[in-house]
Amino acid sequence: MERASQDISLSDKKREDLLMLLKSAQAEYRHIPRAFIVDTAKALGLPENQVFGVASFYAFLSVEPLGKHVIRICQNLPCYLKNSRMIIDSVKKKIGIIPGETTPDGRFSLELVSCIGACDVAPAMLVNHDVHGNLTPQRISEILNTYD
Amino acid sequence: MPEKQIVSMNCGKIDPDNIDTHIDQGGFKALQKSLEKMTPEDIINEIKTSELKGRGGAGFLCGTKWELARKAGENQKYLICNADESEVGTFKDRHLLAKDPFTLIEGIAITAYAIGAQTAFIYLRAEYHFLLDLLTNAIEQAKEKGFLKHLAVQIREGAGAYICGEESALMNSIEGRRGESRYKPPFPTEKGLFDKPTIINNVETLMNVPQIILNGGEWFKTIGTGNSRGTKVFSISGDVEKPGVYELEMGSPVKELVVTLAGAKNIKAVQVGGASGSIIPFDQLDTPLSFETLLGSGGVIVFNNERDITDMVHQSMIFLSEESCGKCTPCREGTEVMIEIFRRLEIGEGVPEDMENLEALSEAMMLSSLCGLGQAAPIPVLDSLKYFRSEYEDRIEKSQILRRLPRSIA
Amino acid sequence: MGNITVTINGTEISVPDPMTILEAATQNNIDIPTLCHQPDLTPNGVCRICVVEVEGARTLVAACHTPLTDGMVIHTRSPKVLSVRKTIVELLLTAHTGTCVNDVNAANCALHKLASDLEVGEPRFHVQKPRFYAPEESNPYVTRDLSKCILCFKCVKACDEIAGKGVLSVGYRGFESKIITGCDDALTHDICKDCIVCADACPTGALSRPDLLDKKQKGAV
Repeated sequence: MERASQDISLSDKKREDLLMLLKSAQAEYRHIPRAFIVDTAKALGLPENQVFGVASFYAFLSVEPLGKHVIRICQNLPCYLKNSRMIIDSVKKKIGIIPGETTPDGRFSLELVSCIGACDVAPAMLVNHDVHGNLTPQRISEILNTYD
Repeated sequence: MPEKQIVSMNCGKIDPDNIDTHIDQGGFKALQKSLEKMTPEDIINEIKTSELKGRGGAGFLCGTKWELARKAGENQKYLICNADESEVGTFKDRHLLAKDPFTLIEGIAITAYAIGAQTAFIYLRAEYHFLLDLLTNAIEQAKEKGFLKHLAVQIREGAGAYICGEESALMNSIEGRRGESRYKPPFPTEKGLFDKPTIINNVETLMNVPQIILNGGEWFKTIGTGNSRGTKVFSISGDVEKPGVYELEMGSPVKELVVTLAGAKNIKAVQVGGASGSIIPFDQLDTPLSFETLLGSGGVIVFNNERDITDMVHQSMIFLSEESCGKCTPCREGTEVMIEIFRRLEIGEGVPEDMENLEALSEAMMLSSLCGLGQAAPIPVLDSLKYFRSEYEDRIEKSQILRRLPRSIA
Repeated sequence: MGNITVTINGTEISVPDPMTILEAATQNNIDIPTLCHQPDLTPNGVCRICVVEVEGARTLVAACHTPLTDGMVIHTRSPKVLSVRKTIVELLLTAHTGTCVNDVNAANCALHKLASDLEVGEPRFHVQKPRFYAPEESNPYVTRDLSKCILCFKCVKACDEIAGKGVLSVGYRGFESKIITGCDDALTHDICKDCIVCADACPTGALSRPDLLDKKQKGAV
């Protein structure tokens, strides 16, 4: 990826479009590449450090490459009370990585995240934008197998 | 006081993908009444009469706030609907958005007309991306029906940050900045989004508006308690049989929500208002849920007798530290230091000074943090020290016994 | 734009409106300590050292950015204020790993001076992972030692508002927050030239001028 901004138009964009641009880059490249930060900063007339500052602030943006599918398991109280630790362990075992890592084949990244607002179906996780609730260790394989 | 549906009255009764089903239930009549028969001042007076307060947590009087924005001498004004519901254990806005996006759009349209905003933003948290199409579709349908001629409604998605539910951080986020809190004054009603007068209201708050316009502020005032008019939509989770969303009249006792509706048993404590919410012990379940007593965002988490309260507070602090924006010292450093104390208590390395250190930290964080996150973070710590002090003492005592053991045994 | 009357520590004073609590205090020789504030920069309001008690307010307020209102009654050294200030200084010292004890620059460190003024001893608190960054000396004009940084953001403001360069900003969030250049790159000569306003603004020596450092070290030998 030499010119990161080829796929995402940066023309006529303003500062207020920055979050949307970074989200598009995250979706397109699975992270915010340095080249994209450089191009975006130039297009918006901002120093690179400000674009990086925004990219590194939000939990759903990453300056490091992530896998094709991002598993985000809720680590807060309502899920914790419904044994989310067991779910975290099953996911770790199933894909062989710990939170913060990406599988060597680039298929999955695993993250522990703040409340995703699915407490009525705790324990819950997001895989990309899909909510999966009422999780049990048995269901983990079944769910993850649907993401190739 | 029984369940009472004002905000969620259409949930489950309409098809959220089809505006006609909503119109059949009387939808958008309040907007028509507002635009055809009322001046913006009439609307603000009606809301002032109703004494409607913001449902996001802070509980500011809406009519007073709207009036300030209305009177601000600027042509360009903004309305923001805060759909960044991120408080731990809170999912009522998700429920309302998914089941009835139209009442929200109607509330937005009326409010924007009242304050004089031509643009309204709905700031939707990234975790609720699955609601984006439904919401976009609802706005499109309202536009096609001609309900939004006076207003452009745009959706802005967040990118994962609890702090963006705080109004100044939210505005920074819409402006394409880091979601850091701004100091006040200036207040958003004078200098808000893009430095223009701005009103920020929560989803549930705006969904109250159409019924107040239709039935009048005096009607709304007959519901609830003296300082908490109307109803509140609660999200309940944790150690309960029936987690979910329930709308109750303000002033209903905690017990009704937790025991009667959600079916909790063997209750040890209840946390009301998310990670930084108050914790009350079992013997206080008759406490009414209201702005005067306990409320917050309406997220209620139940802990049963097997739970260790210090562990619960530790978990809350992990969340608050993770979500601190990092701008001011007391919140950024204080939450991290608190985690370290709770971690040591958990692994048997507590020391007698831990309790007074938690109290000193709490004082500094509550009194000197820049925004509500740091100011409220110590609430569960202080409540647990008040009602469950013996759990701290036990952990510290066990730590001391562990320290006296010879190394080979410990 | 008339005058308003406020009471600070029991003394009634008349000041022009608008004015912040800190400005009025300074003008009347009342000392309120600050770390993230510099009169020629817009207020940061982040360190919270300058908090004072305002009668009727729910919390303490930061003097550096809070405007005075007519009739305001302010206490700058009440027991509550002093206790909170002390805790804040301790919090800043807790995660701070600079080699200040052996450092000839420590005498110039505003945090250490404040700790001594407020009689703060060994901090009561600990963190699991104190901040530690390797010192950077590759830039001939500014030496950076982020272990000493207390995240007061003054350097960011000074670079923006005085130098007009925007070389520095804040990256990451929460406890992980860090003053960054570029995409969190090293502070090389390519990124930052020789204006050194940031080093002059830095209260702790996280950013310092190697030329001054050399002289002092030589003097100390």
